[in-house]
Amino acid sequence: MLPKINGRIAWVFQEENFDIDLIVGVDNIKTKDIEALKAVCMKEYDPEFAKYVRQGDVIIGGENFGYGHPHYPSCRALRALGITAIIAESFAPGFYRGESTNGFPLIECPGVTKTASRWDQVEFNWDTEILYFTNKNIKLQCLGIPKKSKDLILYGGIIEYLKNTRLKSV
Amino acid sequence: MGQTIAEKVFSKNYGTLVRTGDEKLFSPDVITAYDYPGYIDKYEKQMVEELKIDKVRHPEKFVLFIDHMYPAGTPKEQEIHAITRRFAKRYGFKLYEGHGIGHQVISEKGYIRPGRFVVHFDGHISTVGALGAIGVGIRNSMIEAFATEKVSLIVPPTVRINLTGKLGKGVTSRDIFHWIVKEIGPSGCRSSIIEYGGPGLKSLEMDERFTLCNLAMFLGGVSAVMETDETTDSYLREHGVHDYDQMVPDKDATYFKEFTFNLDKVEPVIVMPPTPANTVPISDVIGLPIQSGYIGSCASGRIKDFIQAVEILEGKRVVESFRLNAVPTTAAIQSKMSQLGLTTKLIEAGALVNISTCDFCIGQMGALSDGERSVSTGTLNIPGRMGSNKAEIYTASPYTIAATAINGMITDPRTLL
Ligand code: SF4
Repeated sequence: MLPKINGRIAWVFQEENFDIDLIVGVDNIKTKDIEALKAVCMKEYDPEFAKYVRQGDVIIGGENFGYGHPHYPSCRALRALGITAIIAESFAPGFYRGESTNGFPLIECPGVTKTASRWDQVEFNWDTEILYFTNKNIKLQCLGIPKKSKDLILYGGIIEYLKNTRLKSV
Repeated sequence: MGQTIAEKVFSKNYGTLVRTGDEKLFSPDVITAYDYPGYIDKYEKQMVEELKIDKVRHPEKFVLFIDHMYPAGTPKEQEIHAITRRFAKRYGFKLYEGHGIGHQVISEKGYIRPGRFVVHFDGHISTVGALGAIGVGIRNSMIEAFATEKVSLIVPPTVRINLTGKLGKGVTSRDIFHWIVKEIGPSGCRSSIIEYGGPGLKSLEMDERFTLCNLAMFLGGVSAVMETDETTDSYLREHGVHDYDQMVPDKDATYFKEFTFNLDKVEPVIVMPPTPANTVPISDVIGLPIQSGYIGSCASGRIKDFIQAVEILEGKRVVESFRLNAVPTTAAIQSKMSQLGLTTKLIEAGALVNISTCDFCIGQMGALSDGERSVSTGTLNIPGRMGSNKAEIYTASPYTIAATAINGMITDPRTLL
């Protein structure tokens, strides 16, 4: 089953072409230790981010989110803190490919930055691909999610996906 | 309905007609990778331990490169290279070590021809688009390619960029690319294949074309591809490739967007820190003091780039206390530089000419310290990319870097030509 996306908006990145390396800081993009990454995650935006974020929360991003040379530690740190999805106006293709391969839900939702405020409560419906702001009673239609991305989310990333689908008969 | 080059490449690959938006499993003609911690060492672990694959069907489709951390500076780095050598041997993959930066060596070694589909982790594989092939950075789905020799992809829409006119004095293909970013924004070609063509393209040499294709990701592109012509033919012939079809779109191909840029209008530009999205005309930053320069990387560092640098530097000296690093993209380019006498002229002007390596582009060599500023033809100018994250990187053309090296401050190269 696809994971339930029902939580609060932990942060809204309004900026276009956001370089996700800034989430943990360029100094830390080679860090592997997840506790160290959690400790620096979002520090530049809200020093108390880790304290307030809860399992099930989401991040909102602007146009071309993930521009540049995106590295993985930032999203690893976000996931470890409980972030279940990133919902953005649009994603840079390299970032989209990389994180959807990791099985991380990335949802393109035109207009989302105009509607979203920090700590809004949102719910995503995988069938209709509608994002529902429960506290504001606003519904936004997201763009269709490719089948492959859904499969990757379902299996929790490329390795399990390959084992359970394309390499199954081997 | 006519086809874009991308639709032609993917239809040929798939075996039947495919259109923009189709999600299919494609079979890359070439699967390529470089070693760096977390790349080939990880693929080896995934192949051997997690997926238990002991052999691949078409080892000849694979080509690996040792170009980062080259030469190794520590025993640990040498161990990473040893893993790559072991991995290549285990599966029968071709490995090039010390031949230079893979994104270019791959074309020199004849792996690329018009119509081919190439995958790499790294999006700068778009470089091969200059030869009418499509190189896509598929990130960590590389394991999909290693394990199954197929990758799933949605055929991206194509953005057509028509080039007209001719570049003026002191202006280069780096300026063209960043100029386009300034005009249509860093997401102007988002999630699309950029198709370059038109009379302006014909006026560009292969070296300039590789540069334009290499940087596709900074326009948001999935990749870039160019119409092939006689210039492409002579490059391919020179590198032993004879059997291929020309790649041009059909006249009635449908594009997602179309732009036309007149090369006559392009002027030298500077990409300001902290992102490749930030292009300004050089006039905005003239006179800014700079301590270091780097001409090299997979984007620039070809013969044409050094000819341009030498046009400025010949008979002059880099200003005292300025460090100018000249790093050819490949060993073959370095050899040609020597034949042409470029190496000597660069050294006489005070540049440090290094062997081909990625290491200047990532601050492993020639690192910047706090507060320093560098002008660079590297791909990226984010903080920390070339050393201290308190250093600033200004991306510019080889002409501009050479002119800046003479004066120790950002200088419009046209004043020295
Ligand atoms: S030159 Fe720079 S951008 Fe190109 S492959 Fe090497 S490190 Fe990457």
